[in-house]
Amino acid sequence: MVNLSFDRANLPFRTDFSLGGVRCRLSTNSYQVLEHSIPWQGGSRNVDAKTFEMDILEDASMDTPVESGTHFRGARHLVFAMLEPRSFLSYDLLRRQVRGVVSSAAAGDHAFWRTQLLPITVGILGTTLGVAPLHCACLTRNGEGLLLAGLSGAGKSTLTAALARRGFGVVSDDWTYISRKRGGLVADGLSAPIKLLPDTARFFPELRKRAPHRTMNGELAFEIEAEKLHPAAGLASCSPKSIFFLERTSTPGCRFVPCTSAHTRHFFKSNAERLPEELPAAQQTRSEIIDRLSEYPAWILRSGDDPHQTAEAIEQFLPEATLGTR
Amino acid sequence: MALADFEHGNDPLDPLRRFIATPLRTRFRVGATRVLVQTNDFRLLPELPLDTATNGVEDKSLEWKLVRDHDAHGLLEEPLLFTGGALTIASMGPACLVGVDREHGELLCFIGAEVDGRTFQEVLVPFFCRLTNEAVETQKCGDLLSERQSTLHG
Repeated sequence: MVNLSFDRANLPFRTDFSLGGVRCRLSTNSYQVLEHSIPWQGGSRNVDAKTFEMDILEDASMDTPVESGTHFRGARHLVFAMLEPRSFLSYDLLRRQVRGVVSSAAAGDHAFWRTQLLPITVGILGTTLGVAPLHCACLTRNGEGLLLAGLSGAGKSTLTAALARRGFGVVSDDWTYISRKRGGLVADGLSAPIKLLPDTARFFPELRKRAPHRTMNGELAFEIEAEKLHPAAGLASCSPKSIFFLERTSTPGCRFVPCTSAHTRHFFKSNAERLPEELPAAQQTRSEIIDRLSEYPAWILRSGDDPHQTAEAIEQFLPEATLGTR
Repeated sequence: MALADFEHGNDPLDPLRRFIATPLRTRFRVGATRVLVQTNDFRLLPELPLDTATNGVEDKSLEWKLVRDHDAHGLLEEPLLFTGGALTIASMGPACLVGVDREHGELLCFIGAEVDGRTFQEVLVPFFCRLTNEAVETQKCGDLLSERQSTLHG
C-alpha cells in the first residue's frame, strides 16, 4: 500500500494565482507542477474571487504504468478524479480543497494542466467559489461579450472557430465560467484550445495538416488554438452583453428570434449538473447567476447555413443586438 | 440483481453518479462503533455483527455509503492512500474509490462491477473497518482535546 501524507512539510513549494474567476493557493513538492502556474500569475485579479487550496504531490509510485483511463465519481461533497497521464485527485467541495497525487509524466505535461487538470478543477469546484460553469462558448466583438449556447452537437465550437477567423475574440469554446464582479457579470475562460470534430476539416482547410486525437470523452477531435485562426483571438475574460442559442435547421439562411428571459433561465438551469443537497450555497450561487444572466438580451439563432455564413450573419446582426442592450 | 440495475442509466446531468440511490440500509457494529450501511447492492452488505442494541447512544457512529458502480470496470489495484486534514482518501483504481470524512463521520465509496462478494468481504470490509477505527480514534482525540480546552478556558 502506498501511504502518503499532505503535511505542510511535504509540500515545500507554494504560490497563488487566478484562473477562471477564482484564486488557487497551490502547494506542492514538485518544481514542475509549480511551473504550470506561471501563465496564470499575470492574470487579472478579481477582488471578489474566492480561494481554493490545491495540494499536489508528485510521487514515484504513480509512475508504474497502469491503464486506468479517465474516471470521475462524486458522493456528497467529495469528488474523485483519475486522469491520464496517471494522476489521482480528490476534491472536497465543502472545504474547497483539492488533493492530488501525480506521476512525473503528469507533473511535466503542460498541456495536461492547461487543457484538463485546471479546467476540470474549476469546473468541479466553481459553484462553491461563486462561479457558475456554464456549457457555452464566449466570444467578444469590440469589447462586448456574447455567449453562444446550444445543445450538444449544435455546432458551437465550429461556429466559434468561424467567428475567430473573422476576428472575434475567443474567451472559451466549450465551458465558460460566469461570476459576479462589481454588480455585473464577468465571463472567464481558461485559454483551452477549440475542439473541432474531424468532419469540420471541410470548413477549415488548415486542419487537414493536423491529426485529430482522442479527447477525454473518447471522441476524436482536432484541437486548435484560437490564435491560430486569428492572431488577436485569444482572450481571458469579458463582460457578456448578449446570448445566442444556436439551433441547426435544414432550411438555408439564418434567423434571429428574440427569446424570453424564461427561455434563458430554463435552458441553463435544465442543462446544469445536479448538485447534492450538501451544497445549498453552491446551488444558490449558480441559480442567482443564471437568474441575472436571464435578464440579458437573447436570441435563438436558427441556422441552415455553413459556419462561415452563420458567423457573417452574427457579425451583421450584432450592431442591432448591441443597440438592444443599451 | 442489484437495485442499481434499474436506475444506473447514465443521467447526463449527473456525470459524477452522485445520485445513485442507496435504498438498502442496516446497522452493524465494528468493535464499539455503530456503523450505518447504505447501499444499492445486497452483495455489499458486510458480514459483520448486526447492531441490535437499542441503547448505546453514547457510542461512536459512522455511516458507510457503498455504491455499486456498474460502469466502473477492472479489478482492485494496489491501494493508494492519502490523508490530510479531516479526510482520508483511498484509490484502488476505478474498482474502488473511498473517501472518509472524520468530521462528518462518513465513509463514501464506489465499488466496481467486477469486485465480487468474496473480494468485498475479505479485502474491502477489513479495509473499511480499519479506516473506521482510525476515524473514530481521531474523533475521540478531537473530543478529548475540545473537552480539555473547554476545561482550561471554562
